[in-house]
Amino acid sequence: MSRVLVLIRVMFANALRGVRQASATSLLAVLTIAVVLVLVGSASLLVENMSGILDDFGAELQLTAYLEDDLSDSDLASLTDSVAAAPGVAGVELVTKEAALERFERIAGGAELLVGLDDNPLPASVEIELQPDARNAASLETLRASLDGLPGIDELAHGEEWIGGYMRAVSLIRGGAWGIGLVLGLAALLIVANTIRLAFYARRDELDILALVGASRTFVRVPFLLEGTLQGVLGGLVALVIVFGAYELLLPQVRYGLELLVGRAELHFFSASESAALVGAGAGLGLLGAMTALAGWRSES
Amino acid sequence: MTNPAGEPPVRMYHVSKSYMAGRYALHDVSLEVRRGEFVFLTGASGAGKTTLLELIFAATEPSEGQILVLGRNVARLGASAIPALRRRVGVVFQDFKLLDDRTVEENVRLALDVIGTPRREARSRVFQLLKSVGLQHRRFHHPKSLSGGEQQRVALARALVNEPEILLADEPTGNLDPELTIEIMDLIMAAATRGTTVIVATHDLSLIDRYGKRMLRLEDGRIAEDHPAATAALGAST
Repeated sequence: MSRVLVLIRVMFANALRGVRQASATSLLAVLTIAVVLVLVGSASLLVENMSGILDDFGAELQLTAYLEDDLSDSDLASLTDSVAAAPGVAGVELVTKEAALERFERIAGGAELLVGLDDNPLPASVEIELQPDARNAASLETLRASLDGLPGIDELAHGEEWIGGYMRAVSLIRGGAWGIGLVLGLAALLIVANTIRLAFYARRDELDILALVGASRTFVRVPFLLEGTLQGVLGGLVALVIVFGAYELLLPQVRYGLELLVGRAELHFFSASESAALVGAGAGLGLLGAMTALAGWRSES
Repeated sequence: MTNPAGEPPVRMYHVSKSYMAGRYALHDVSLEVRRGEFVFLTGASGAGKTTLLELIFAATEPSEGQILVLGRNVARLGASAIPALRRRVGVVFQDFKLLDDRTVEENVRLALDVIGTPRREARSRVFQLLKSVGLQHRRFHHPKSLSGGEQQRVALARALVNEPEILLADEPTGNLDPELTIEIMDLIMAAATRGTTVIVATHDLSLIDRYGKRMLRLEDGRIAEDHPAATAALGAST
């Protein structure tokens, strides 16, 4: 076995020995990382599910172009095609005057309200579904500008306030999640760094003896970096189990509440890659914590 | 890192070490230690013995002057070059500096682990060395279960396992009774007879009398006396 491989094996063995020996401080580091990741993971899961629900709402956001009365069938067809080709449009549906009347009758519960009118007063319209990335004020303005120039459109109706509210809700939730994640992540980093620094001081004698017998800085430091990473992975796994347990436990109540409030409850847990990312975040936290702890250390031997 | 043949492994030129402005732990010390030479360093507590040893194994830097150890200028040694120097310098302390959670074999093997010596080779070398200090049967014991003399023999084995060119010992027998003191000193002396340059700091004048080796006496950080080795040591066992 080459010397490099021997060194790598010894450094791994030292890292595992460190985790075993400093079991109390190791446990503290693992739990610290786990607590932070439970908070960040829960917030992410919440945001992701809320974003999903908001996206569903977003899919229902639409513009309606009310059309002039005297358009021929071919005019309607070409106008519909033009609207469908406009920027930010995901799909269009033509609602003819007759279809609008039928819809009205269905909603109003009969045609009594229209008795006495000679003609069908309801205009034909084109209902425009927006692409997800076009559900914002700027895209809406662009679309509005391009539709305004089309002949045959009488009036454009859209729920700008509704879209504005939707956008504010999405950005508030996402921004809040980022902010909370950032603050929690920084707090975790400091706690983990200090925990690992404690482990470092607890093993000061060993480090000084290693320095004495000619251990390189890499030989001394790598086991601590591995140790921090390992603690991070363990913390990430613990967090994943806790978040999953809490999700399973609370799912029936949350689903019931959402169905009552918003009429839908399509909830889901993290995908495999998202779960791996949570554990990876733990590993990253542990590694960064160890690096921060090591940055302030120098051997006294 | 090489040291040209014949060049003294330790050379100091007007070396001073000050931890506080105006107060010197060592003051204007110049000396040479030849290859394979055995030197006792003596003096009262605080005379500068430990500081002088620390300068040789690059645990501290001189405030003034130059120190050449195995051809390397310690004052200009970068942090990354220090480990390489220390692998050529074995060190033994009064308090043994053993890791209690590791066995005797693991403690001695530390010096080989840090340079990536394959496990089989390392075990064989550790066994031979423990045999030479009479502790092969204790290799799977932990230091706490050993006597002071045995612990110092383990520390000595760790210092010698890399076949260092220089062996430094700081009061190696300070915690031992007279019988164990002789036992340890004989082992250190044996290393010197194999060509290792040895510097032993001690305030035990009976040892200096017994072995009759070169003696450097420090006083207030200065060399007060440099006494050459006696032609025939009184009662020396080597």
